[in-house]
Amino acid sequence: MTIERFIPALTRGAVALIGTLAVGLVAVLAAGLDPVTTLQAIIDGALGSPYAIRQSLTEAVPVTLTALGVAVAFRAGLFNLGGDGQIYIGALGAVGISLLFPDLTPALLIPFALGVGMLGGLIWGGIAGVLRAKLRLSEIITTIMLNFIAFWIVSYLVHGPLKDPGGSGYPLTREIPEAAQLPVFGDLIPSGAVLMLVAAFCVWLLLERTPTGIKIKGTGSSASASHFAGVSMSRVTILVMAIAGALAGLGGAVSLQGDQYKLGDFFSPGWGFDAVAVALIGRGTAAGTLITGIAVGALRSGIQSAQGTAEVPSSIAQILLAAAVLFVIVGNAEGAGQLVRRSWARTRELASE
Amino acid sequence: MSDLFDIVTSATLYAAAIRLALPIFLAALGETFAERAGLVNVGLEGMMLMGAFGAVLGSDVTGSALAGVAIGLLFAVLVAAIQGFVSINFGGDQIVCGIALNIGALGVTAFLVRAIWEGGNAPQVAGFSAFDLPLLANAPFVGVAVFQQGIFVYVALVLALISWWALMKTGWGLRMRGCGEDPLACESLGIPVKRLRWQAMLICGACAGLGGVFLALGQLLTFSDGMSGGRGFIALAVVIIARWSPMLAVPSALLFGAVEAFALRVQSSDLNVPPELMLALPYLATIIVYAIVVGRSNPPAALGRTYVRQ
Repeated sequence: MTIERFIPALTRGAVALIGTLAVGLVAVLAAGLDPVTTLQAIIDGALGSPYAIRQSLTEAVPVTLTALGVAVAFRAGLFNLGGDGQIYIGALGAVGISLLFPDLTPALLIPFALGVGMLGGLIWGGIAGVLRAKLRLSEIITTIMLNFIAFWIVSYLVHGPLKDPGGSGYPLTREIPEAAQLPVFGDLIPSGAVLMLVAAFCVWLLLERTPTGIKIKGTGSSASASHFAGVSMSRVTILVMAIAGALAGLGGAVSLQGDQYKLGDFFSPGWGFDAVAVALIGRGTAAGTLITGIAVGALRSGIQSAQGTAEVPSSIAQILLAAAVLFVIVGNAEGAGQLVRRSWARTRELASE
Repeated sequence: MSDLFDIVTSATLYAAAIRLALPIFLAALGETFAERAGLVNVGLEGMMLMGAFGAVLGSDVTGSALAGVAIGLLFAVLVAAIQGFVSINFGGDQIVCGIALNIGALGVTAFLVRAIWEGGNAPQVAGFSAFDLPLLANAPFVGVAVFQQGIFVYVALVLALISWWALMKTGWGLRMRGCGEDPLACESLGIPVKRLRWQAMLICGACAGLGGVFLALGQLLTFSDGMSGGRGFIALAVVIIARWSPMLAVPSALLFGAVEAFALRVQSSDLNVPPELMLALPYLATIIVYAIVVGRSNPPAALGRTYVRQ
């Protein structure tokens, strides 16, 4: 009985994995690379040394934090495509505080800057939540628009008022003071990675162990039933979008304080969309999102450091993510489910004959 | 202040508005078909991007802009076909599929640009240039504003009329709209829901693709990563603002074209406004206009709901 319940899930996972790897193979061959050495180079680059592991974790943190937020919204039936905008606003908050109060001790400045970054993201995500709850504007459209608005605001600031006057002319802010920079534990574990684990645990706690989590999931699975049960839809909507924004904002702040130290035009290489894919592949659960996020971080970092040995285009990561999401939806789809169930039933009939 | 007055009253502003509205309008027109048939297609952005990329590739390889149009349309329709298989045949989540296709299109185009062209940059290619419409082009004001455009503007106007007629005045259109209101009832009347939805999805891909083609061959004459710049999402808003009407999509898209044109003109004027903030204006305008209009909108009843024949 239990095995029968699990086998379709396992086949789905296996099919998604094999399908994604097949797409990756096609892409690698199309780029004129040797699949074996390319894979070797990527794995080496991602996990081959303590430094590589540290880089992989650093790369995983902003994506995973943002993806955890996307997951919370997704469980309430909402799509937060605004990760990038929230990341930019979060990083802006963190860089602002870090540069305004350089004389504070690290014990004060680090949490202060992270907190303001989180608050910035919370507001940016919250705007989409309020627009959805109060005016019925689709968050799919508004979050994308807010991405562009945030990007151009930051672009204006780093080209103008916040531009480093002593810099080499690039549109970047000054480097944040050391007191605002996040420590790395034992030269291996960036503190952002610890925050990422804590955030994943909090999201699990919220979704699985609190009444609010029940409301969030209820809204996602049946809006009308939740409404009749007395759950305020608009409150849940604003709450989850604010949480999603806060986590993405934290991701931006952590990347600023733990990795990049300066804010510029190209701060996020597209973490917001990566995060949507990560949350969808992780099926909106805290653990699934965390594991997928770390894997994607390792993949991106591996591709980056493989540049020396094999010229692997970084866009392969996006292609793999998109393919994985497509395979996962097809696997979960009603129509595909019917097909699988039917063929499974047929196989069983054949076996029992 | 007089500068601002000059900008708003210049005929070239309106010419630019029409040009900039065009890709948004074409994508919105396609989406109108899809949504009327009950399919939310969030993948517009990806379809535009693939259309633009295919157009540049086709034009570069053959040297003919017309071949570019054909390849661009083909690429966009391929994306629509994936969306069709996943959401119509498999009954997968339409929105999630569209999001995945957008991410995939960004990745695939970025990948191919680097794989195909030396140095990882798309070249300048042959495109379509504007021409003067006989007689009308010399008319005061409207001559410059309306009648000195490229061929795409007139194609788009004809498409708007045909779409309105096909969707609103024919039995085919009625059945297609039926699929968006109550697919089960349609099925019980013997209407082939699946086939009609496939038609709508492919039309949507072709229109959005044409929007991307114009962006590439009518404006930039090259391809750059993410050049659709959120226009696919602005088009989603335009569909709602136009209340799912092909004809109302014309003025709705023009509104956003005008905002973008205005922002560009202010940037290049003597007015002391930061250019980056002007570039944010179209996106802010989208939210504002959408917020004003949405309360009165009435979407197709079965929009976005999975429908798989039992």
